[in-house]
Amino acid sequence: MARKILCVAEKPAIARAVATHLSGGSFQTHAIRGNQYVKNYEFDFNFGGAWGNCSVTMTSVVGHLTGLDFDRQYRGWMSCPPGMLFEAPVQETVDQDKLPIADNIRNQAKYAKALFIWTDCDREGEHIGSEVRNQAKAGNARIEVKRAKFSNTESAHVRRAALEPVNLDEYQANAVAARIELDLRIGAAFTRLQTLQLQTVVAALKEKVISYGSCQFPTLGFVVDRYLRVKNFKPETFWGIKVILNREGKKVNFLWRRVHLFDRAVVTMMLERCLTAKQAKVTKVNQKPTSKWRPLPLTTVDLQMMGSRFLRLDSQTIMKVAEGLYTKGFISYPRTETDQFDKAIDLKKLIEKQYPDNAWGQYARELIDGKFRTPRSGRHNDKAHPPIHPVSWVSPNQLNSNEKKVYEFVVRRFLACCSEDAKGKSTEIEIQYGEEFFHANGLIVLERNYLDVYVYDKWESSQQLPNFELGESFEPTEANIFEGKTTAPNYLTEPELIGLMDANGIGTDATMAEHIAKIKEREYVATNQRGSGRTSVQELIPTRLGVALVEGYDNVVTGLPNSVSLSKPFLRKEMELRMLEICSGTKTRQEVVQQSLDMYREVFIHTQRRINMLKDACRKYLVESATS
Amino acid sequence: MASPDQIAAQILSTKSLSVSQPWLNDFLSSTSTTQRNVPPSALAKTAIFRLLASDIKESLSKHRSCTLPVDVCRPNVQERRLQGSIPVQVLDIEDIGTSLWSQIEAIERVERGEAIRGREIVRTIAVGEDPEASSENNRASTATGTASVSGNSGYGPHRLILQDAAGTLVVGVEMQRVEGITLEKLAIGAKLLLQNPTVARGMVLLTPRSATLLGGKIEALDKVWRDGRKARLLEKTASAGD
Repeated sequence: MARKILCVAEKPAIARAVATHLSGGSFQTHAIRGNQYVKNYEFDFNFGGAWGNCSVTMTSVVGHLTGLDFDRQYRGWMSCPPGMLFEAPVQETVDQDKLPIADNIRNQAKYAKALFIWTDCDREGEHIGSEVRNQAKAGNARIEVKRAKFSNTESAHVRRAALEPVNLDEYQANAVAARIELDLRIGAAFTRLQTLQLQTVVAALKEKVISYGSCQFPTLGFVVDRYLRVKNFKPETFWGIKVILNREGKKVNFLWRRVHLFDRAVVTMMLERCLTAKQAKVTKVNQKPTSKWRPLPLTTVDLQMMGSRFLRLDSQTIMKVAEGLYTKGFISYPRTETDQFDKAIDLKKLIEKQYPDNAWGQYARELIDGKFRTPRSGRHNDKAHPPIHPVSWVSPNQLNSNEKKVYEFVVRRFLACCSEDAKGKSTEIEIQYGEEFFHANGLIVLERNYLDVYVYDKWESSQQLPNFELGESFEPTEANIFEGKTTAPNYLTEPELIGLMDANGIGTDATMAEHIAKIKEREYVATNQRGSGRTSVQELIPTRLGVALVEGYDNVVTGLPNSVSLSKPFLRKEMELRMLEICSGTKTRQEVVQQSLDMYREVFIHTQRRINMLKDACRKYLVESATS
Repeated sequence: MASPDQIAAQILSTKSLSVSQPWLNDFLSSTSTTQRNVPPSALAKTAIFRLLASDIKESLSKHRSCTLPVDVCRPNVQERRLQGSIPVQVLDIEDIGTSLWSQIEAIERVERGEAIRGREIVRTIAVGEDPEASSENNRASTATGTASVSGNSGYGPHRLILQDAAGTLVVGVEMQRVEGITLEKLAIGAKLLLQNPTVARGMVLLTPRSATLLGGKIEALDKVWRDGRKARLLEKTASAGD
């Protein structure tokens, strides 16, 4: 009998896609007992080299197999003081509903020579892979374990991954294990503490679980911070000087170098000195070629930000849709931090695949016919996945409307990356009028290039400027004072929030959308529509409870040296940085768990001691202001 | 031993300051015998150091050649040029290129410890703007006039309240960048030497040619000013939008 190899993917759809590609479409499907989604696909495949022709069973898990929880005696809410949860023993067990899947892997492993892990190639996937391995080893201690490395489910790519397996990355799996343990302990300790304490304060919270998460809270913190900035904002009047010249039938507006000042008397005096000087002198005539750069290769954060801005989908929906497009083999893996294409990747071949498209097929052809440019390289490389790009063409009528939008965005962005920058000519005229300086700018777009396919960017020619000679003098047609008012910032939008989380090191590109969804689900934040029609945006506004929690935790640490509020990103950011140290092998899982627990334990102790701060904030927002 | 005249001449020639006789006598009598035996130039240095920390109403001559005209503030005079060197001390400094509100927000960031390295928070982000996407240098970003993270460094210009040795008050406006005039570097009580300055509508126009920073501070005034700055800004915002 031929040797048997067991393959396990992260989701049923991937198992099916991989089975289809490896088998050339002919495989047998077997249901497994106890789970209607997971199937075993059987076929033969030649793995080459030492393996040769083998019979294959391809199956999958459904995400994580196991969960971590406290030992039974600590699970009840009143079973122990919440602070004990920082040390209470924990155990990892297979989730009840995943038992049939684990059984299936153990059974299949019995007859297999080797296990090929096909989970997604990221940190989470590495950990799921380690869970699969543990089950397989329990079924067959001598089974050899390999891992397929792939970043899309296109046929040739998948077959190559099957022929060139690598080893599981234990460091990454450990980083996830550390994160899971920290999330459990810190989350449970603070959730129990604040829920039990706050329930007694406000009737509205009586039956409510007030959950805490080390990503959720800083995420909420950003929303509240912006909300308070909007609320507290005081408008101020400012004054400026504008100079107008009519020349060659054109009206040129010169802008003040000081833009505007907040002192009327000073501006009036300055204008008077301009008028007294009578003549303005041209001090600079700058004409130079300018360009608008083509976008960088697409990362997950960018996809979510740009997507929620241009496609009118929330980030979680975008990720779900992108995930589906990846599973079906249309785009590459959508979770990536990389914004540089590897030299080895054949970009032209990918462009050629877009020829059949009615909307951008012609553009793709032109790129190959000579307009192709090597994409810019950004500074990020997660060493796991390429930037998000289309791997094959799909006819729009095979996609639903959301899929169409996301696929179109990914393709247009990719084609734009491979295009020439937009070119133009800019003109800057600077004048000195009295002691003040003013300037006028003009732009002529000469070649649109990438803008033709990347419809999301705007770059338009401005009004044409008349001719000016360096050193010439003229008397302006008009010089006036204008008055304006400062305006409050807007409430936070989802794309901004993703940008802030990314910039402040909260969450990974893969989890940001989940955290945002969480704080909405917990009713810490609500959404509100600003504007209408195509320009409308969803704003994030905290609920009273959301504001109370942030203010309460901020007050807990007020005046304490070196202690930072849980509503701020630092603690979580440090934790994320330590995860990276596990991944690179410079720290062990145990070290990181201990260090991170110590940091959070300190805040926990402060919170317990100053719990009244938290209670007062809840009273203030949920009792007093609710009735007033 | 150096005579008071020698010291006064020394201070006048190095710093263009005419020191008041009683103050100089006080200074000399307060110095110990050993100090008095040092060369006049060294003693003059000590005197200047004390002078910069003093209130010039007490330490400098009130002669009209080195004080402001009493009617300097008259707003109906469009322009006049003052003659000579006039020392003044700074009683207040404001950044009029930055809104009060963003100055308050900057102070609050410092209060929350966010100016500490590693504790900075990114609060605004330009969605969809590749920071390098255009070869144009972005003038708008420097023009919005928001105060920086570190606390107060707005872009100015600054509006100062100045006082001469006779106690006359006048507003100074920084028409061109003057080295050392920033909210965090310029202390209250710092001395400034005005040289043939132009006064327009009652405001002294400060430029690198007309104003030289001598430095110094009046500790008591400076502390009160800094402690009360946020409260003053808040108070002003209440009426600024009207």
